[in-house]
Amino acid sequence: MRVVATYNIKGGVGKTSAAVNLAALAAQDGLRTLLWDLDPQGAASFLFRIRPKVKGGGGKLVRGRSDVVDLLRGTDVEGLDLLPADFSYRHMDLALDATGKPTRRLRKVIAPLAEHYDLAMLDCPPSISLVSESVFDAADVLLVPLIPSTLTVRTFAQLGDFVSGEVAHRPRIVAFFSMVDGRKRLHREVVSTLPASNMDDVVASAIPAATEVELMGVERAPVVVSAPHSRAARAYRSLWDEVRPRVGV
Amino acid sequence: MAPDVAIVSYALPTGVDPPALLAYLDKRFPVIAEAEASRSYTVLDTADRRLRAAGVDLDLEAGRGGTRLVLREAGGRAPLVADVRRPRRHRYLLRDLPAGQLRDRLGPIVEMRALLPLATVRVGAQLVRVLNADDKTVARVSLASPMALVGSGDARPVPLTPRVDVSGVLGYAKPLGRVTAAVRRGPKGGLVDDPVSVADEAIAANGGDPDGIRTKVRVDLRPDQRTDRAAVAVLVDLAGMVEANLPGTLADLDTEFLHDLRVAVRRSRSVLRELKGAFLPEPLATQRDALRWIQAITGPTRDLDVQLLDWDHLVSGIPADRHAALAPVRALLVRHRAAAFRALRRELRGPAYRQAWDGYRSFLAGDLGPARERPDAKQPIVDVAGRRIRKVYSRMLAMGADIDAASPATDLHELRKRGKELRYLLELFGGLWPRAVVKPMVRSLKELQDMLGVHQDREVQATYLRGLAGELASSTGGPAALLALGVLVDRLDAEQHEARDAFAARFAAFAAADQQALVAKVFS
Repeated sequence: MRVVATYNIKGGVGKTSAAVNLAALAAQDGLRTLLWDLDPQGAASFLFRIRPKVKGGGGKLVRGRSDVVDLLRGTDVEGLDLLPADFSYRHMDLALDATGKPTRRLRKVIAPLAEHYDLAMLDCPPSISLVSESVFDAADVLLVPLIPSTLTVRTFAQLGDFVSGEVAHRPRIVAFFSMVDGRKRLHREVVSTLPASNMDDVVASAIPAATEVELMGVERAPVVVSAPHSRAARAYRSLWDEVRPRVGV
Repeated sequence: MAPDVAIVSYALPTGVDPPALLAYLDKRFPVIAEAEASRSYTVLDTADRRLRAAGVDLDLEAGRGGTRLVLREAGGRAPLVADVRRPRRHRYLLRDLPAGQLRDRLGPIVEMRALLPLATVRVGAQLVRVLNADDKTVARVSLASPMALVGSGDARPVPLTPRVDVSGVLGYAKPLGRVTAAVRRGPKGGLVDDPVSVADEAIAANGGDPDGIRTKVRVDLRPDQRTDRAAVAVLVDLAGMVEANLPGTLADLDTEFLHDLRVAVRRSRSVLRELKGAFLPEPLATQRDALRWIQAITGPTRDLDVQLLDWDHLVSGIPADRHAALAPVRALLVRHRAAAFRALRRELRGPAYRQAWDGYRSFLAGDLGPARERPDAKQPIVDVAGRRIRKVYSRMLAMGADIDAASPATDLHELRKRGKELRYLLELFGGLWPRAVVKPMVRSLKELQDMLGVHQDREVQATYLRGLAGELASSTGGPAALLALGVLVDRLDAEQHEARDAFAARFAAFAAADQQALVAKVFS
């Protein structure tokens, strides 16, 4: 099982949208896919119409006291299952801190699922915390959505430095531009000039700022399912085609 | 612990079509019916239906995106998929498939057998999603109307039984239970559980046998049945196996068609020999000669098949730096095998074979002659077969007792041949005695035979490989190949010695006092 985490220190950059759409595309490609909604806001769970509730909460889960298989829920996309969010995940840092080797915990939680899935997609909450360190340890690939702005680029460089310097198990970092508005000159400029330093990879596919993506909250389905021929869906398909070989699935 | 979901299949009874079932579900649950989708695929399996026996469905789907294999298993696990090229010569061998999960799953089941197209199916299916109060899918119902495409070229569609599959969604067991219960009740008095699979129905519609080519004799024998009639019933069943394996042998689809053909011939010879008192001496001698000849013409190809099937195992046991040097040896074996097969095919397609086989078939179908000249003809089969089992067993005891460290390899080979006689008697007629008696006897015999088989195979292989030396010496890479060949032959000799070392213990188990007492008591 390969593990991909959609991650950015900032919120509202398109992490959840990328996670649910790429997970849906992976399942459509025949990969046995798991999506873990790690964000206590539970947006990914909401999009799949699954109650953001985990029996025993995040604490029990990270302490290894829950049978993770019992917590899984099948989504409306065949081949894609969800480990739902729970509001208690807001205290996951504390729960992790209370365990031995906290940065290894998330890897341990999903280890029993390795024989059942080809791909696990982790949708992470924004922050740099013990949770993100544990995510970095569990992930083979960090998929980082970037809104094209100078500040974003700077934050991304910080992430690259942090992962290079602080994380023992260093995941491959793959970035893509998200919420791109082709009418804005700054967006166009950043997309064309982003320096490659501190990055393993910046893929060419970019996700547009599109109404269909915003409508996912109304449709409660990935855009690749509800509007598979839309511009946004095509962009996610193109992104997945670029990301998949980098993930190695 | 596996996140698999249940799939339950039902056949729709006559008078209930998919739209009627959809209307029935619509009244009971919030549902969304997706647009009907159609797909065509070819059912693949080995000739002896190994995949079916393992609960695996393998479909070949050809579309605009290319050709792919889809492997499905019971339990609702996600299918395994592999992109493949179109099959060459209407078959896939394991080596034709791309490395990956699908091939890994098939490997231990299929082994050396070819995956063959057994039927082509077109299915129109409508997916109905059952929703909960949040409009979340909590169960899926697939309404399928399959058709077998029969005949080549302008294939004729033959409708098969419509089906409904109910599959669960992980974490939603309760709604699945409700939907399954409703579907089971169904309109018009309920649905039929566990239907015959679409694949089996399509194979039958195509004129094939869904059980594939059998390797086990299936004849209902009664203990008091006349020996001649029991013998003929078994021989007719075996003759059917020879004929079923002939086309695959001629097409050289895989090595096992020839192997199974030879086993059926060998078993037939064994029946003719062991139950000879059921037949007149003269036609019997002619037919035994005919079958011996068939066994002889098929032998060289099979011997070379064994060399090549064992190749990886043998080579794995010698130092890796010698592997490359062995390439000319393998190439030579492949060439010899191709030549042997060409000769075999000529013989099997020739008039001599046709005459021999037609004569044998006429013998089985015709009058066996006056019963008074056939001493065992009217005897109950349980008496005659029992007598033979006892006799062959005691003969083996005597032969085995005479074998010691100084005995030549031929003594072990002769014992093995007797062992085959006994094994066939037990396999073909063992059903006349309690299973609890026959099974342990077959087991101890099999363990002895396996050891004797390795001993003999290694002898034949080593002799054959030594015989290649002259030819190898003059080929490119010959000297290096000769040196590596020496290591390979040493390995064969070592395995033969290992087998021989195991003889005493295996034979002791076979000849144990309690086993002897049991044989004397049961087969008296």
